[in-house]
Amino acid sequence: MISIFDGLRDVTLASVIVRMVLSFICGGLIGIEREFKRRPAGFRTHILICLGAAITTLTSQFLYLNMHYFTDMARLGAQVVAGIGFIGAGTIIVTKRRRVKGLTTAAGLWTSAIIGLAAGAGFYEGAIYSTALVLLMELVFSKLEYRVLRNAPEINVYVEYESRNTLEKILMEIKQMGVQVTDLEITRSSKTAPEKNGACAILTLQMSKKCSQEHLMNRLTETAGVLFVEEL
Amino acid sequence: MNDALLYLRQLNTASILLRLMSAMLFGGMLGMEREQKHRPAGFRTYMLVCLGASLTVILSQYEFIMVTTVWADTAELVGIKTDVSRFGAQVINGIGFLGAGTVIVTGRQEVKGLTTAAGLWASACMGLAIGAGFYECVLIGFALIFLSMRFFPVLERAVVRNARNMNLYVEFNNVDDVAAIITRIKQHGIQVYDVELDRGSDEDALQKPSAVFFVRLPKKEAHIEIISHLSELESVTAIEEI
Repeated sequence: MISIFDGLRDVTLASVIVRMVLSFICGGLIGIEREFKRRPAGFRTHILICLGAAITTLTSQFLYLNMHYFTDMARLGAQVVAGIGFIGAGTIIVTKRRRVKGLTTAAGLWTSAIIGLAAGAGFYEGAIYSTALVLLMELVFSKLEYRVLRNAPEINVYVEYESRNTLEKILMEIKQMGVQVTDLEITRSSKTAPEKNGACAILTLQMSKKCSQEHLMNRLTETAGVLFVEEL
Repeated sequence: MNDALLYLRQLNTASILLRLMSAMLFGGMLGMEREQKHRPAGFRTYMLVCLGASLTVILSQYEFIMVTTVWADTAELVGIKTDVSRFGAQVINGIGFLGAGTVIVTGRQEVKGLTTAAGLWASACMGLAIGAGFYECVLIGFALIFLSMRFFPVLERAVVRNARNMNLYVEFNNVDDVAAIITRIKQHGIQVYDVELDRGSDEDALQKPSAVFFVRLPKKEAHIEIISHLSELESVTAIEEI
């Protein structure tokens, strides 16, 4: 516990201001980082959630400490945990490729609500430390994630090919190289261009150490019937 | 001044009316801001949510006062004390539900209405504070919420302009054209970390194949330039940053 906050443990005008502003800053810091990443929940969303959560814990402390009502101080805050879970659920998307997106956004929103609770309750240390950790995680770990992605054993390859038989050949080639296909999505040309009966596919490949990425791409390009290959 | 404030902290006709009316006023002012931008939750939505939230807390205070005065004998007999924040707590949860309903996922894999949900939820929390007679908190909370709703979109746009991450929605004539688009994107040294392909509908000629590219720029660059560069491709019929 840091002693400079000792005067702000009770609910007074000064502590209300400090707590609200703190939650505003914490939410804003987390939100602006998300905004830079162009994620659905941005700057304002995080600030609003963080402020709202701070108001709830402040209100329940006010009811108990200042108004002396019989109440459980944790009750209001406890519902924030559930309520923001619902809003977060709205950000989760199941894409056409049956993959789940927006989970990190939902989790981040939820965490900033909890930080708001701590700030509103006057647990300044908890709010400040957590915000610092969340920012550290987002800034450092996302870089790490990008780096991991770049050298990832799993790559996405976009392939365009002439006919249905070609896909079989492609898959054979890939298997021969000791690479596993973990996911395959095929999109066939629409009927608007009947002269082309080819299709394109996005392959998710699990690379192995035996085979370099360049080698794989070259082999695929050389396969008869393949029109275009590009790593994504 | 202090006496007046203490009086308004108690539950009486004046304070109840003051709380309900200020809930409507503050909720309405936040709603007005959203209404001007033609967002789904507008003036009356915010007013109703804020009013309802404040009434729940007033109601539980009323019950507490009754239990300690008029119903004191029964309360002693039955031995149940009511918790003042039980009603209010469910408001927080309930408005979370309401907010989740305003969040939509568009056909372009875009999440919309999240700020509306968050704003509605924050104004419900403000309504609780109003109902509790926690006037200082309400004023500061209102000021901060209003500030972020009114002035921060400008800041948000500036962030978006300078962001290295970009989500591109592209519509094109034929699925075969994806190759050309990907080559174009790669020319810039842009890292594509995800693609969502939609091949459109065969029956409906208006619904063309489209793709959403989630990309990361190698350096800070004007998004407009990249978009215009991509739009030079003949097959691209529509392109948009989302």
